[in-house]
Amino acid sequence: MYLDQVNSFALYLVVGIILFFILCMCTVFMVKSYRAGIAIGMDKKLLKRSITSSITFTAVPSISILLGVIALSGSLGIPLSWLRLSVIGALQYELNVAEIAATAIGYSGINDIKMGIQSFSTISLVMTTGILGGPLCCMFFLKKYLKKVQKTPKPDGTNKPSYSTVAVTAMFIGLCSAYISSYIGTAAVHQDFIPLFTAFFAAVAMAIFEYFTVVKKQAWLDNFSVATSMLLAMAAAVIISGVIK
Amino acid sequence: MTEQEKIQYFNKINRQFHLIGKAMTIIAIAAMISFSVFAAILYNVWPSLKGFLAGFANVAVIYYPVAIAEFLIFAPMLGTGGSYLAFLTGNLTNLKIPCAMNARDIAKVEAGTPENEIISTLSISASAITTMLIIFAGVLLLSPLRHILAEPVLAPAFDNVVAALFGALGLKYFIKQPKIAIVPLVLLTLLCILVPSMISQTSILIIPAGLIALGIGYVLFKKEKIKG
Repeated sequence: MYLDQVNSFALYLVVGIILFFILCMCTVFMVKSYRAGIAIGMDKKLLKRSITSSITFTAVPSISILLGVIALSGSLGIPLSWLRLSVIGALQYELNVAEIAATAIGYSGINDIKMGIQSFSTISLVMTTGILGGPLCCMFFLKKYLKKVQKTPKPDGTNKPSYSTVAVTAMFIGLCSAYISSYIGTAAVHQDFIPLFTAFFAAVAMAIFEYFTVVKKQAWLDNFSVATSMLLAMAAAVIISGVIK
Repeated sequence: MTEQEKIQYFNKINRQFHLIGKAMTIIAIAAMISFSVFAAILYNVWPSLKGFLAGFANVAVIYYPVAIAEFLIFAPMLGTGGSYLAFLTGNLTNLKIPCAMNARDIAKVEAGTPENEIISTLSISASAITTMLIIFAGVLLLSPLRHILAEPVLAPAFDNVVAALFGALGLKYFIKQPKIAIVPLVLLTLLCILVPSMISQTSILIIPAGLIALGIGYVLFKKEKIKG
């Protein structure tokens, strides 16, 4: 009964309409920035390459996000899981927040069999409002914040080497360090070596790609380097898990 | 187009991005909240206010500070259009940011330039559209796909997709600036080993990791030990 209600056609329809709107908006941004790129003299090939490399980059992680939809759909139904993981949500966030919301309203978790449609609408509201921090910051502060942190390049081209390039790389190093450290921690504390092994294998595959793209000047390989390294590492995770078992 | 004209033109485009971005965000937030309201109207059962407040308090205390930190860290990397899109379409740290950085690397554009903003916006919009279409196709085919993808033998692959992503990207960025990478990696590893509860809190770990890396990067840049 509960799963029939949360998987009703009407809810699919609502989600379809919301996602269609956001898809249109993404297309508007894409077209506008593509035209702006051409207007300021960027190479059409480069712009197209950015789009195709982003599509290939996204394809594999999107399948894992789809698996997140499948994982959530058992308790929250397909329409809500579809909505949450197509936009605004994140794989790491959804299950965690749904669980927090379910326990806050008195259940043992989202798989609690007593969960009814009222709990469903309460949890979905908590999941939505709990993740609005980013979009709200953009709405109220993005313009001022970017004006403050981004310097306009001097038109005469006398720009000094900028810290912003180092800062972006540093931020990304920080992001990767956080994840890699958690895998080392998982291996050391929980004796679960698979995530660390997967990350290591992906790094080795990436190093081979870097050798060919940087040393052997095969720049075209860059489009496939991350996605292929990931696929190889994921395949290695399956094999090593089988061996350990 | 001269540099001056380029900047003027790009500022005009950015104003349009702000306008469209704000309108899109307001409509999307209203639409997402309306999903819960619609479900309530459909079945004539309203969300519990007490349950909502308790759940929201527990979630907001963790995720609003994280969202603010992510906004402060990632917005300058993404630029105007990229920020509106990335913060609305989600999967930020595990997909949109790496995707935009990868596109930026391939295009070889510098941070803070109009070219970088254009590449970021193109990359994030392409990524968001791809994710939406793949999930849509998956939802259509959910029953047969569920059996194939949910095969227990494939579980380790999908359980470790984020590890595969950060292994590949980590190598790419660590070799770019190894002097910046060592300290956050060692300190965060020690933190995870000494405080095991932090292992699963990667969304919180990225805040100290990002700040340490930024600080070291700044010192090394000022001392001219690394180049911008």
